[in-house]
Amino acid sequence: MSRAAAGRAVGLAALVLAAVFPLVVRSATWQNTVILMLMVAQLGVAWNILGGYAGQVSLGHAVFFGTGAYVSTLLALRFGITPWVGMFAGAGVSAALAVVIGWPCFRLKGHYFAMATIAVGEIVQAVVNGWELLGGAVGLSLPLQNTGFWFMVFNRSKLPYHYIALGLLLFTLGVNWLVTRSHVGYYLRAIKDEPDAARSLGVSLTRYKLYAIALSSGLAAMGGTLYAQKELLIDPGSTLSTSLSIKMSLVAIMGGVGTLAGPVIGAVLLTTIEEASRLGFGGTGRGTDMVVYGLLIVVIAVYQPAGVLGWVKQRFPPKAAPAAPGPGGAR
Amino acid sequence: MLLLQTILSGVLIGLVYALVAVGLTLIFGVMDIVNFAHGEFLMLGMYASFWGFALWKLDPLFTLPLTALLLFGVGAALYRVVIRRITDAPMLSQIFTTFGLMILFRGLAQYFWSPDFRSVEGSVLTGKVAFAGLQFGLPQVVAALGAVATSGAVWWFLRSTRLGAALEATAADKEAAALMGIDAQKMFALAWGLGAACAGVAGALLSTTFPIFPEVGASFILFAFVLVALGGFGSVAGAFWAGILVGVVEVVGGFLWDPAYKLVLVLSLYLLVVWLRPQGLMGKA
Amino acid sequence: MSTTFRASLLAALLGAALPATAEDVTIGVIYPLTGAAASTGLELKNAAQLAADLINGTEKSLALPMVGGGGLPGLKGAKLKLVFADHQGNPQVGASEAERLITQEKVAAIQGCYFSSVTQTASQTAERYGVPFLNDSSSSVGLTQRGFKWFFRTTPNDELFVQNAFEFLKDLEKRKGIKVKRIAILAENTEFGTGAARLQEKYAKENGYEVVEKILYPPKGTQLTSEVQKLKAAKPDVVFQSSYLSDAILSMRTYKDLGFLPTALLANDAGFNDSEFLKTMGKDGNYVISREVWALDLAALKPVIGKANDLYKARHGVNFNGNSARAFTGMIALAEAINRAGSTAPEAIQAALKATNLSADQLIMPWGGIQYDENGQNRKGAGIIVQVQDGKYVTVWPAAAGTKDVVWPLPAWEGR
Repeated sequence: MSRAAAGRAVGLAALVLAAVFPLVVRSATWQNTVILMLMVAQLGVAWNILGGYAGQVSLGHAVFFGTGAYVSTLLALRFGITPWVGMFAGAGVSAALAVVIGWPCFRLKGHYFAMATIAVGEIVQAVVNGWELLGGAVGLSLPLQNTGFWFMVFNRSKLPYHYIALGLLLFTLGVNWLVTRSHVGYYLRAIKDEPDAARSLGVSLTRYKLYAIALSSGLAAMGGTLYAQKELLIDPGSTLSTSLSIKMSLVAIMGGVGTLAGPVIGAVLLTTIEEASRLGFGGTGRGTDMVVYGLLIVVIAVYQPAGVLGWVKQRFPPKAAPAAPGPGGAR
Repeated sequence: MLLLQTILSGVLIGLVYALVAVGLTLIFGVMDIVNFAHGEFLMLGMYASFWGFALWKLDPLFTLPLTALLLFGVGAALYRVVIRRITDAPMLSQIFTTFGLMILFRGLAQYFWSPDFRSVEGSVLTGKVAFAGLQFGLPQVVAALGAVATSGAVWWFLRSTRLGAALEATAADKEAAALMGIDAQKMFALAWGLGAACAGVAGALLSTTFPIFPEVGASFILFAFVLVALGGFGSVAGAFWAGILVGVVEVVGGFLWDPAYKLVLVLSLYLLVVWLRPQGLMGKA
Repeated sequence: MSTTFRASLLAALLGAALPATAEDVTIGVIYPLTGAAASTGLELKNAAQLAADLINGTEKSLALPMVGGGGLPGLKGAKLKLVFADHQGNPQVGASEAERLITQEKVAAIQGCYFSSVTQTASQTAERYGVPFLNDSSSSVGLTQRGFKWFFRTTPNDELFVQNAFEFLKDLEKRKGIKVKRIAILAENTEFGTGAARLQEKYAKENGYEVVEKILYPPKGTQLTSEVQKLKAAKPDVVFQSSYLSDAILSMRTYKDLGFLPTALLANDAGFNDSEFLKTMGKDGNYVISREVWALDLAALKPVIGKANDLYKARHGVNFNGNSARAFTGMIALAEAINRAGSTAPEAIQAALKATNLSADQLIMPWGGIQYDENGQNRKGAGIIVQVQDGKYVTVWPAAAGTKDVVWPLPAWEGR
């Protein structure tokens, strides 16, 4: 079996596993953990379009996540518009905002760009924090009582949230896949790897970077709507913080930057580490969970800078002959 | 008069920001790595001063050279153990290594020293400096002077010593420096040691006024980032002047406008500057 | 003979012969155990644990409900088992942890979470699952306005605290023949500070005071010079301040350095009443006035307060404070209800909580008792006003509880 085919097989298996998981495992805690994984994975994939494929490291993506959460929640609270519509409205607003932010910031490169996005993120958080219309520091909360498909709020059952999160992840992966197959993806790779050559060939770097940030931010905003619908409380501290922005990029890096499956793998890994260290040591109140979490991040970043997928590529180089041709696995 | 007092207060705190940023920009200039764990060096410097005072009644001002030495060791050791392995890694892995270190250090501080707030009470540095109707806390004034002296010493070291010149040469061109017989590994370790020592000194200077707790680095790191980018990545002089500018803008802006948006003001100024001049105030294009 | 009958007969026979072997009653307790508020979270955790240990123990010297019963007599001497969880100050984590405690640890009830935002999401989860949630230490007004059926709050909320502060001011003006005119508000700009500032502004205007400055500042900054300069320029008589610990310390030092001295500083609990505050501030912390829910000198009126505090101090080396005393009280109130319910069925506990009627002398708080209204808010809660005198918090209001006279105005910083 070629590596690509093996990859497809693993992907399919993962999809089947994700689809049946909540039907088999009935523990709400486990179900919730998997939903968190799916949500973080979706954000990582969205981030990856800009940060991985276009090579523009944004550490302010929480702005777009928050935009999605605030737009859909405001529409639901003020005008009774269903979050299903709000989700796309949020994505649109977020994409427009991303272009406004992206246009000046793309003048900057490398570290300068990353630092500027942190600054933008902090500015937006501070402004929303003082903005009464958006609930200020208290934030906005959706009523627990309005449940059902229309409100995208579900009572005890985790199944709807699970499948919405999974659907959103697949949608995001699909968009990502389409991008990589299109000429946009081609130019993005050129911009990332050979910016000077790309420019000399007449590729408008800024235009394609703007495409990437618009898509990336729109998808992140959809994740924000889902968060708002699941937790029913959004405030600047939890939806617009720099630590959230960093988490989005962290999952992509752990799994493998600029790859389709990387952020998903990273999300599984990071969520597992987070939950395990908190459940294992969090109740002690001695910071042991932070020690474990921090140490693992360092170890992964140092020893596997290309992420889990980088490791896979090292172990199974593409040219290698079929290792163990399974039934129908021969090339 | 109130305005003058406010401006000078801004200068005082700005000088401390500058010292933290000088360490950060030194590391960046030599290695192209942004150290997210830099605030934790400051935190360690504070705790070193605190324990010196709590255990042996040694004033933070007297233990300052020891704190600097200790943090130099921490920085250099960190380079040898961890950072050395990511010298040529992509920017993202570098960011996340130092980000992980930041969390690790905070966790360790909480583990060993508890999350309690500590402070140094009854240091020789208490009292006020008053003149011409202006008044400042003595610790702030000493901290600012100490920051100027330390930043100046780093600047002098880079300009006027052979070791400093070797460090600058490595920063400018690794390969060329290697051809001249400069050991890049040693230079990198030196940069991390010096960078950590600067933050540690800043921590020691702040320990008499600022509460000490595991997460204290978080308050300063954002300013340090802004200063490094504003001054120009790798420019020690740039970070220094940017520190003063940012301190004044923050304090005066908060006073004249709304304190809720003092950070917004600083960050907007920073974005405006790098938009007009992407390499920062004193960075090389 | 049916199996059930045989089993119950057996149980009855055994029960007579053997000491009860009831299952433990598990209670989930969620506090911030890492992050910026970890120090407070640990105090809350320690206090809740002390309450549980006293209830499980047989030492009866402390005259509080349930204490010394060797467990819950209503459940055949079942022991309380606390499972602690860390919410890290993050609402999403709080909700996840509540869910884990309910589904995995099968807790009978949850207590927490200190942060109002986390209490909001965690209690949402409890509401969804129909598990009683006892909120011991969050004072945001909105929490009990959500129409929840499983939410019970022992502590008074911010509105009452702010009312108290103005009653205190009015009392003082009458008693001392002084006149306060100009009020300034300084508050950190997250949920806690902005909410308090809004209420303070409202009540200040209603009571005929002039609000000369209202400053909302970003918390945990590196300096508060601009804020203090603004205060200085506004020349207020009284400053109302809501700050967490690091800002409380920094602001006091800045006041002193810049020579800012209002007639009085009225703090809104939080950082000013943290165990670390006076340790850090030393003499400079003297004469701060703060709203509180608990003070050690109340032991003069209620000896049980002193005894409970001795136990806490013997274990942890510090006195109770408003937060830890509330966590302790929350656990007692929760255990008392579960015991009365005689079962760990959620509906039984919910009904017992609704019927709770603890009297003033059953508490280590200066409250009229614990009795929940239809929203789950304890209607008998009350606040007190304390002032730091000689490095101790002493109660100065209300007169009934007041043990010392208030020092007014603030003496100069120098020569204290």
